[in-house]
Amino acid sequence: MSLLQEEREIILSNENVDAFDFDEVEDFVKGANENLFISHHFATRDKMLVQPRGGFPTYAKQFALYEFFVDANVDVLPLTIDSNTRLNDYATAKKMLRLSEENEIDMLNGYPLVNHGYRTTRKMMTHFNHPVSLRHGTPDARLLIEMAIASGIFEIEGGPITYLLPYSKNFPLDKAFLYWKYVERVCANYSALNKPINRESFGPLTATLVPPSITIVIQLLEMLLSLEEGVKSFSVSFSQQGSMTQDIVTGTVIRKLAHHYARAIGCEDAAIHLVYHQWMGAFPMNKDSADQLINMSTVIASMVGADKIITKTREEASGIPTKEANALTVANTQYTLRILSGLPCIVDAEEEDMLTAEVHAIMEAVFNDPAYTLWRKVFNSIKNGVIDVPFSPHIINHNEMITIRDAEKNIRIIERGNVPIPDRCYAFAKAKCDLNKDTTSIINDIIHDIGIMQ
Amino acid sequence: MKVVTGVVGNDIHVVANRLMDLSLNARGYEVFNLGVNTYLEEFFDAAVETGADILLISSLNGEAEGWSREVKLLKAKYKTLDNIIMMIGGNLTVGSGNAEDIIPRYKNYGFDMVCHQVNLNTGLDMLEAYIKEHKTS
Repeated sequence: MSLLQEEREIILSNENVDAFDFDEVEDFVKGANENLFISHHFATRDKMLVQPRGGFPTYAKQFALYEFFVDANVDVLPLTIDSNTRLNDYATAKKMLRLSEENEIDMLNGYPLVNHGYRTTRKMMTHFNHPVSLRHGTPDARLLIEMAIASGIFEIEGGPITYLLPYSKNFPLDKAFLYWKYVERVCANYSALNKPINRESFGPLTATLVPPSITIVIQLLEMLLSLEEGVKSFSVSFSQQGSMTQDIVTGTVIRKLAHHYARAIGCEDAAIHLVYHQWMGAFPMNKDSADQLINMSTVIASMVGADKIITKTREEASGIPTKEANALTVANTQYTLRILSGLPCIVDAEEEDMLTAEVHAIMEAVFNDPAYTLWRKVFNSIKNGVIDVPFSPHIINHNEMITIRDAEKNIRIIERGNVPIPDRCYAFAKAKCDLNKDTTSIINDIIHDIGIMQ
Repeated sequence: MKVVTGVVGNDIHVVANRLMDLSLNARGYEVFNLGVNTYLEEFFDAAVETGADILLISSLNGEAEGWSREVKLLKAKYKTLDNIIMMIGGNLTVGSGNAEDIIPRYKNYGFDMVCHQVNLNTGLDMLEAYIKEHKTS
């Protein structure tokens, strides 16, 4: 038996799992309908796929949410997991699920997949026969993704960097890399049986003034860590940044460099997709304004040429959205996509050149780390600040980079810390900003820049 | 002067914490930032370890209310913290409340300065005025 299979048996002989049947699950994946695979939809459809967010504690409420989504003409269904499961606290999730079932009040902020089990969840997934995307935020997702794939969920979001640096203060980053290696291998093995399982990285990170170079570098590194384990379908992603030009340039550069770096490790046979998140920062309280912002995001996603868009709702500022509000965004986004046509082609060669140079410089510094494996090189680069994520709460993050918006709302690096931004790019970025102010005024500008959409 | 700062409890809201770090540095303080998700014991340990003059605790989700009740009791266990300036700021209650009720409550918990929903720079100006006042007296 392989080491991986031994580890899988240990992970799945968990008191919360009711007799995981490896052979039966393998047969299920082998014979699963192609419509359950988002990789199949990416390959055969030429429209941008629309995917909302959403997860409720009980089976009945999740089922009802999916009915609303399907009525609104959804392309990809989400399954958002509750916060206890994300921290591997299945006992609390179980208790809260029971309370939710008995009292008609939601005691969890998502669907506790491990507690429901794969036999039950699979009934829902095969009933709707839509591709489902697993949304979580789990540093150790080994058990969760086994249950997801066994349920017919063939897209797994996340990664060791993007699910850790924005969400955690203390969880050890080296452990996260090893736990995600397991996820990649299991996804790769199942991919050989039918259509590929798609992996997606979480590009928005902290959604707070993250410059495109940092976003792209982290997307590329998580892609490489996944492809080198044998994954054949991967989505890089980013969220609306505030300037349409910067979004378009980011889309162009990330797509170009994803293929470049995949080729460099001999993985040109993998399918790479681009996902765009509607605005992930602070939302306006006014629901009509929120609708306008959402609509603008959809237009920009079209300009970027994204393969999939992930939606927000008009209730974003006030909490977990109702299924009605959630389905409304899906219907509205589909409408906007249907009527949008004749989009202009915008190219900003100078911005593209600058961003490309920044990404190459950081990637080169990561590859030049003396560690023997890619994950260790990446780990060291985060530890020594070659990669620095603005506003990450994690203790390992350097927090030396400072970013600000220029007059066009482009995010610019005005303090690079240890990140090897080439001098000419650094000078170009700083020249776009008014830096003849004292620190107090600059901090007031940063506060303003974070809240631009409110 | 030395400041120990951070966000109390299981609160992970990091944005204002980073901005406070920058602002305090710009105003010439030596900053020891413990970041988000910090427990009271960690604040006091850090204050002793660094010989801090000021302990500046913040809260966004309002859970400070629960933790602050233990401030006096815990602080009494440390012998060298009698002269430290105790300041707290942010959203100091879960849900809504008004400053007239909140400030006396927190002064009772053992804070010298209480800023409920006060703008960052206003709060830091208040701190400077407080330090000046107590130097001359």
